[in-house]
Amino acid sequence: MTISSVEAIALIDANNFYASCEQSINPHLRNRPVVILSNNDGCIIARSPEARALKIKMGIPYFKEKERLNNLDVAVLSSNYSLYADISKRLMNLLKNYCEEMEIYSIDEAFVSILRPNDKNLYPWARKLRTLTYQNLGITLTIGIGENKVRAKVANKLAKNIDYSAGIFDLARTKDENTYFKGISVDKIWGIGKQTSNWLQSKGIRNAQELRDMKENEIFKKLGVVGKRLQLELKGYKCLPIIKSNKPKREIQVSRSFGTPISKLEDLTQALAIYAIKASAKMRSQNLKTSAISVFVRSSKYSSQNYQRSFHRKLINPTDNTNVILKIVVALSKEIYNPEYKLSKAGVLMQDLTNCQYLQKSIINYKSQEDIKKSENLMKTIDSLNKKYNNNAITWAITKKPREWTINRNLSSRTSTTDIRKIPTIVI
Amino acid sequence: MDSFGLTSERLKIPLLSDSISAGFPSPADDYAEENIDLNEHLISNPFSTFFLRVKGESMLNAGIKDKDLIIVDKSLRAKPGNIVIAMIDGEFTIKRLSIKNNELYLKAENHNYPDFRFQNHIDVQIWGVVIYSIHSHL
Repeated sequence: MTISSVEAIALIDANNFYASCEQSINPHLRNRPVVILSNNDGCIIARSPEARALKIKMGIPYFKEKERLNNLDVAVLSSNYSLYADISKRLMNLLKNYCEEMEIYSIDEAFVSILRPNDKNLYPWARKLRTLTYQNLGITLTIGIGENKVRAKVANKLAKNIDYSAGIFDLARTKDENTYFKGISVDKIWGIGKQTSNWLQSKGIRNAQELRDMKENEIFKKLGVVGKRLQLELKGYKCLPIIKSNKPKREIQVSRSFGTPISKLEDLTQALAIYAIKASAKMRSQNLKTSAISVFVRSSKYSSQNYQRSFHRKLINPTDNTNVILKIVVALSKEIYNPEYKLSKAGVLMQDLTNCQYLQKSIINYKSQEDIKKSENLMKTIDSLNKKYNNNAITWAITKKPREWTINRNLSSRTSTTDIRKIPTIVI
Repeated sequence: MDSFGLTSERLKIPLLSDSISAGFPSPADDYAEENIDLNEHLISNPFSTFFLRVKGESMLNAGIKDKDLIIVDKSLRAKPGNIVIAMIDGEFTIKRLSIKNNELYLKAENHNYPDFRFQNHIDVQIWGVVIYSIHSHL
């Protein structure tokens, strides 16, 4: 816990990230209002600045707004997550070159540490980063700078709220911090949830300044060390470290909501089988094997009866073999099935992942080495064919029955930066 | 580099292979095990490089033909003489950034297609610089 004037922390986030990704690779969408829908084209989850200006709200169901959006000539798109993930990866790699340490906090935001130059002015650095990101990726950044993570978050909020900030705000270089702190209500501070906010309000603590100057033991008594750290950070001490995120993945999940709820066992089995095939291929591409397989189901949030279950099975020998995993998942689907409920979501989860190169040879092995080699080769062949032709060039018969439940993604832009068959076409 | 989404498949061309099945180890083994990776040789800024597909013939004289694959680096600053992707009034196009009488304009490389003068359009932006075009001869 030190006050450091040399090292600054910045919270960098991308404005309207999903909409910006779409606009940056599709010129038709530039300067147009764009909204992105959640899976199943359910709700509006992202808006371009033009759509915000039209007062289109976040989170509202698409069907309620359909007509109005149509009348306003708003471009409506299904979410295209592979595009957003690719642009996110490019963004984080670009940012990494311009900071000391980086913690990727979400798909479109990162905490970074950066040393202040001799004149302490980080605005030129921030401006350069914004220009570069816009030119290279078509993404606009907001950069909040402070002495620590909490203050960087506050600064980022200020950079968004203050018109003349041009997307950059350095809290350490303001003369009168209190004027700004007074404008930030407690519920907008990072780490303050609804209940905490209510409690603070009842104590007469309404804004960041009042929280910063509140009696320390009062906060500690109610919120413990978490609250104490938050207050110390608001004061300028550094308590929360940058967590460099290069841990290997611990689990792989494939799950989807159904376009229409399902109640038949064969539909559930088929869905889970498709997810299992996907998850197995994902594991192989990352050189991982699983020794714990789960399946889970959930009934519709809107139905009166609530059904949520998950079943799992441990394995003696870690595997990445689709045949083995399919057998287990199909068996689990029968156990978890309950004819009384309509299910709106299901998924599979591969846990206890180990990297193949560190794998120990098991003493208990039911199969001969030759058989194992054979099935490994089969998986390799299937993976390479699917990579070459298309994702489901070769698959298991269970996936091929007609489906009634697939996810609706009718309005997808379908443009991709990661699949050569879907890259943008330029008519010249 | 494949995970950055530049290509769905790495192109690997073995330089040499050891085909000796038994007996002495190949004397070439120490020298050749690398493959030529086109990503590595063609792309110096993977995070700002994108692939696009061409449709049309306005750049024929520059060697860019219908259905060609082009590689675009958005981090490069466009200079006169470069072939660029421009966004003109909400459409992508490929033209050569050129200069005539001290005025920058976008030149089509085919007599049957018009050039673009910047002042005739409301919204012109250089999106990226074309670094390679790939044509299939099959």
